[in-house]
Amino acid sequence: MVSRKITVTNEQGLHMRPASIFSQAMTPFSCDISIFFKDKKYNAKSVMMLMSACIKRGAEIEIRCEGSDEEEAMNKAISLIEGGLED
Amino acid sequence: MVNGIPASRGIGIGSICVIEEHELKYEAIKIEDTEKEQKRFHEAIEQFKKETEEMAEDIRKRIGPKEAEILESHLVMISDPTMADEMSNMIATGQCSESAVEAVCDMFIGMFSKMDDEFMQQRAADVSDIKLSLLKILLGVQDVDIRKLPPGTILVAKDLTPSMTSQIHKENVAGILTEMGGKTSHSAILARALEIPAVLSVPNITSLVKDKDTAIVDGTEGIVYINPEGDTLSSYILKREEYIRKQSELKNFHGKETKTADGAAVELFCNIGTPKDARKAIECDGEGVGLFRSEFLFMDNKRMPTEEEQFSAYKEAAEIMGGKPIIIRTLDIGGDKDIPYLNMKKEENPFLGYRAIRYCLGNKEGYRAQLRAMLRASAFGKIKILIPLVTCVEEMRSVKELLSEIKADLDAEGIAYDKHIELGCMIETPSASLIADLLAKEADFFSIGTNDLTQYTMTVDRGNADVAYLYSTFHPSVLRSIKRIIACGKEAGIPVGMCGEAAADPLLIPLLISFGLDEFSVNPVLVLNTRCVISKWTKEEADALAEKVLSLSTETEITALLKANAKE
Repeated sequence: MVSRKITVTNEQGLHMRPASIFSQAMTPFSCDISIFFKDKKYNAKSVMMLMSACIKRGAEIEIRCEGSDEEEAMNKAISLIEGGLED
Repeated sequence: MVNGIPASRGIGIGSICVIEEHELKYEAIKIEDTEKEQKRFHEAIEQFKKETEEMAEDIRKRIGPKEAEILESHLVMISDPTMADEMSNMIATGQCSESAVEAVCDMFIGMFSKMDDEFMQQRAADVSDIKLSLLKILLGVQDVDIRKLPPGTILVAKDLTPSMTSQIHKENVAGILTEMGGKTSHSAILARALEIPAVLSVPNITSLVKDKDTAIVDGTEGIVYINPEGDTLSSYILKREEYIRKQSELKNFHGKETKTADGAAVELFCNIGTPKDARKAIECDGEGVGLFRSEFLFMDNKRMPTEEEQFSAYKEAAEIMGGKPIIIRTLDIGGDKDIPYLNMKKEENPFLGYRAIRYCLGNKEGYRAQLRAMLRASAFGKIKILIPLVTCVEEMRSVKELLSEIKADLDAEGIAYDKHIELGCMIETPSASLIADLLAKEADFFSIGTNDLTQYTMTVDRGNADVAYLYSTFHPSVLRSIKRIIACGKEAGIPVGMCGEAAADPLLIPLLISFGLDEFSVNPVLVLNTRCVISKWTKEEADALAEKVLSLSTETEITALLKANAKE
């Protein structure tokens, strides 16, 4: 299992569009990917669950990946969030 | 008369058609043949996706990609593992498709609607739309065909689903009234895109009216009249004509040069706060950016933005402007703008204290990063640098010294920048105004900041209700100051712009034309209106009015004269 903490910096936080970009990018990975925010766990492959977390700009989240391709999934997740989740 | 949220400007008058909600009744039966039910469910999902894709495509073509995003997001949502899969799991346990759809959707509706965030509450409306559409497909219910409504229809509904909105055409729908939705709901976005007047969140509107009632929809004010009196009706018919005339007049100014009635060209720029706003400036037909406030990079941040972060923001804005001028103001903090991590001292008189250029010159390392980021970004567009709150010549000289040091570094490192980058001085203090002739020798251009200039000249805190009455740009002192600043710029041969709110004020515009202002920088939404007002004045008329104005002694007399001579 790999885990990283990161601050969400894009303007809107994880609203519809950013959350959908993120979850769609996570879906192809076979490992389990979760986001921990305010002591709750959310499935990172689900746009609905990500939005339900109501993660806003400036929030610190923890990403955990567990499975065969966990390293790649983590790298992708971090680069997406650092890149501001824009298309 | 009833009130609601003004969601799309304009006035619509017409005959009401109430869109009835279908009762979506079904019996929650226990399913024996779950495989057959799964097939029925998946067919419904496929049909939903197909219909939604078609509607999204229609809206994309007819209105625009941004407006189609709502429907596209419905596709993303229904494809989410927690949606269709969850419904399918429930069906596997013997529930019918309808109750599975309802249970899963209601769970999300409940969750999103509890959130304290308008955008998230909007997601509740989205899930609710998905639920309705799926239930209609499962139950074989047909919607009213809105495309077949006669011209001049005022559409009334509890809420507009995307399937309804996608059928709305400007030719037959004159106005929209709903019981739900706010300014950012998809009905509002579509109504604005289609330029159909709309008032949303009107309490009980579906039961207040019946088909064929006459209604007035004032989407600018958020007012609705049902079966209005003759007087109201005729005054609104005039208002509507006036509105339509004004709108089409303004549209004619899109893509036109900004010039006075006698053909003298001036520049019309926009004030923006983020790189994304630059797109708005372009959409609104701004000819450049006269003020890009750099504070957004520093506010809402937990630490100083790095040179890299600043560089990419300035570069982004410069690239969006595509070679059109973009004037970036260096950090203007202090006064009423505090940034916690800078640990600025609490001051007794923050507006007279350690703010803007004073702070920056006292914290040269941070300032150097900002100037360096601007210089590097200048290789990607026509960037100009603007210094806020200048009060003496030394401040301009210190900035120039810093800039030449940074330029030498960049040269040594082989990093590209615009070698002819212009440096401007904001004139927004009485001191700068009085020495405008001296400052003109140090700057490549001037930009008058009317908000601070008025506040400091009148010595008034406009946030203080007891003295706010003194806050007006039309006091003889402020007008004389503006006239003098422009004259000093002309004398020295440098252009003078104005980036305060006053630059878009139709009453002030003739005076600015007379004084010889070169560049007007306004809120993007005011570009066309400002261009229209400028086009109505000749220099001669403006001069005659300015002469009269400058002979008056009070603000009251001046505004009265300007109002009497206003050209709308």
